[in-house]
Amino acid sequence: MIGTTREERRWFIRAVAQGLVDWMGVAEPPVPVEEMLRHPPGVYRRDFGVVDMYSNLWDATFARPPSRRGSVFVRIDLPPAKRRYALAREALSAVVTSEHGRRLGLDGMLLEELLRAGEEFAGHLLAPDRMVAAYRARGGDAEGLAEAFGIPQELAQRRWQEVNAEIA
Amino acid sequence: MSMKALNQLVGRSIVDPAVVNAFEAGSIGEMLAELGFEPEMVEKLSGLRAETWAEYAVLAYRVVKAAERAQVELELPSPVEGLRDDETGAGKEQVA
Repeated sequence: MIGTTREERRWFIRAVAQGLVDWMGVAEPPVPVEEMLRHPPGVYRRDFGVVDMYSNLWDATFARPPSRRGSVFVRIDLPPAKRRYALAREALSAVVTSEHGRRLGLDGMLLEELLRAGEEFAGHLLAPDRMVAAYRARGGDAEGLAEAFGIPQELAQRRWQEVNAEIA
Repeated sequence: MSMKALNQLVGRSIVDPAVVNAFEAGSIGEMLAELGFEPEMVEKLSGLRAETWAEYAVLAYRVVKAAERAQVELELPSPVEGLRDDETGAGKEQVA
């Protein structure tokens, strides 16, 4: 297995997220992440799903019960933006551990740092570069990004800075 | 163009098994050509060897990025080009 740099893994994660955004065919925020999990691409029909749970321990976690399809188990009482973020973050676990993901070799590259990778992936899935850049070009600002994209404020700040740095 | 096409290919590979099928069959070059990679780049990328598609994608990223960096360097004018003959001469006189 080859060694990869953090920059290379970030590039790869961004391309993976963009691939799913393209598959969804969305050009405007908010990106319908829960819809994607409920009606996934064919290669993930045994890996994507959403199950509402009562829990005080975590916001969401991906699990693959024996002989059943994998699902993101998500706290039922999360505010909408946090729910979307948690679902997007855990979607990467579903992709990486799926049969298709393992065939691609995603587990070898991303499994060790799945939490951090999931956080980055969620940012690119919910606020893709192109959409943030278009929002900015239309006069959108950092303050309105969270609401426009349906994401938590902290994630909006991060994505705004990342996309601005890319454009500069 | 190459990096954009590579991004598209990696993104497509996540939802379309045809990409990994082509990689495993050793025919990824045909797919690269269809995506608009220059023939020279197709040849370079077709020659890469990796155990998995994800590793191949990173190796391809390195090649494409290096090529784009080299292209930028080629397009930058040499610092000497900005000097006029009389300016160069004047400098020599001053030094002397």
